[in-house]
Amino acid sequence: MEPIVVAKNLTKSYTKGLRALDNVSLTVDKGKVLVVMGPSGSGKSTLIRTFNGLETFDKGEINILGIKVDSTHDERKIQKIRRRVGMVFQQFNLFPHLSILENITLAPIHVQKRRQIEAEEYGMYLLSQMGIDSHAKKYPIQLSGGEQQRVAIARALALKPELLLFDEPTSALDPERINEVLDAMRTLAEQGMTMIVVTHEIGFAKDVSDQVLFMDSGKVVETSPPNIFFSNARHERSRKFLNQLDKH
Amino acid sequence: MLKTYINSTIFFFKQIRKTIFLNLFNTIITLLIILLISVASIHAFKWLIFKANWKVVISNLPLYAFGSFPPDEQWRPATWIISLLLLSIFTLCGPEWRWLRKNLLIVWLGTIPLGLYLLYGGLGLSPIMSRHWGGLTLTILLTVFSSLLSLPLGIVLALCRQSSLPLTQKVSSIYIDVMRAIPLIAVLFFGQLLIPLFLPLGMEIDRVWRAIFAFTLFVSAYIAEDIRGGLQSIPNTQIEAANSLGLNQYQIIQFILIPQALRIALPALTNQSIGLFQNTSLMAILGLVELLGIGRSILANPEFIGQYIEVYVWLACVYWIVCTIMAVLARHLEKRMTINQANF
Repeated sequence: MEPIVVAKNLTKSYTKGLRALDNVSLTVDKGKVLVVMGPSGSGKSTLIRTFNGLETFDKGEINILGIKVDSTHDERKIQKIRRRVGMVFQQFNLFPHLSILENITLAPIHVQKRRQIEAEEYGMYLLSQMGIDSHAKKYPIQLSGGEQQRVAIARALALKPELLLFDEPTSALDPERINEVLDAMRTLAEQGMTMIVVTHEIGFAKDVSDQVLFMDSGKVVETSPPNIFFSNARHERSRKFLNQLDKH
Repeated sequence: MLKTYINSTIFFFKQIRKTIFLNLFNTIITLLIILLISVASIHAFKWLIFKANWKVVISNLPLYAFGSFPPDEQWRPATWIISLLLLSIFTLCGPEWRWLRKNLLIVWLGTIPLGLYLLYGGLGLSPIMSRHWGGLTLTILLTVFSSLLSLPLGIVLALCRQSSLPLTQKVSSIYIDVMRAIPLIAVLFFGQLLIPLFLPLGMEIDRVWRAIFAFTLFVSAYIAEDIRGGLQSIPNTQIEAANSLGLNQYQIIQFILIPQALRIALPALTNQSIGLFQNTSLMAILGLVELLGIGRSILANPEFIGQYIEVYVWLACVYWIVCTIMAVLARHLEKRMTINQANF
């Protein structure tokens, strides 16, 4: 199996001695889906954001698609990584002054220097995959949250990434809009996309993930396949967290 | 249509009764004010029609418009001003064809080289020195070129002020703070009197351009602050999203930050350009015969001595008309950008 992401002993501390990441190591193989769970403040967002250089770290090393980054945070290498790794945010973060299609074609045209017609064609194809091609000319504010998030996924896909990062992609959505986004993500997983997903969606984690990584206060508590994690978690801390989730 | 009109009229009168005729005291105040206004308007009207001698305005119309531009060539600035006016009307009331609206900005930008060509001459037109420029033509020229130059400078200053490089940040902050602490008239004096001393021998910038540069230096500091406000209101998550797409710093500035900041700062920028238009009248003190300057030199003519009220009322009207056109155009632009971008 070819590993896409290898993180070794990642550590990040804040000034007050608080550790956002504490000796985190993990491996994600090609075509696999890793779900990261944990209570808020456990460092899961920080972790996923180090993978495309949005967060720095103090110690350790990550190797993404064969590009090694250490705590010196080499800007050039990070740019290389960003061209091959897509990211979807909790708050969608679409560009409000650009139309849906322009949101999607911006990076292909200016980062990958593709021709505009070609980028637009591919953008329209992605939008139709997401079932929102009829909105291509609209602006983000005119779309519902679920539609905006699917645009954000299409935007991340436009660079033909080899790895997709999802930072709580459904947490800002209305409950009845969550499934349309999860379904889009399921389809991607079935097509063999390598994904790291921070989420609280147990159903999605059970069905789609290959591994579940559970974090608490910056540490990896356990990494297990979903069938084990959700039925018979190895650690007391994980069981307590799952109990809490079930109650809601 | 008619029904809503009648309804709103009824509403209007009810509102009036409720507010300004509510009790005896309010009624007395209201009647007093109405009396005052009517007396003032009757006197103003009387003066305008019977007392005022408008010959000082009517016989000098070309002077107000073009200054001492040679009479045979006055069609040139006239063409420029009329084309600006027509373009304004067309922008406001013209048809809504998509391709046309998209290219309207290019047409507007095209009026700038057109103006320069018509005023300077050359290429078939007889060349005319800038000291012959004057009147409304010069006022508009000062406004257009100063705002056009100060916009990019202001953007650069705003970006530098937000920069993470300490030196750039400091230099830009100091520049902005100093410029905002100096009165405009001092900056204009500096431009007219000191710039020539600093230039190497033999090199000369004419007075019009010195004025334009002085205005640019001054206004760009204010524009920078307006744009900084726009930049600060863009959430950091936008930059993160752009970063994660692999856009580099310059691309983020060009495609994400500047368009949004300009849209947000547009009302403030309108204010700046209208203020700039009015401030060009300060150049009258420094010897340029723009609109106010030409008024003063006409008043210095023995034939028209003492008719300053007529001249200043007339000048006020001209300034008011041009400012109104600018304001209406800016509101139009604002509305259009809001429609296009669905009011984010």
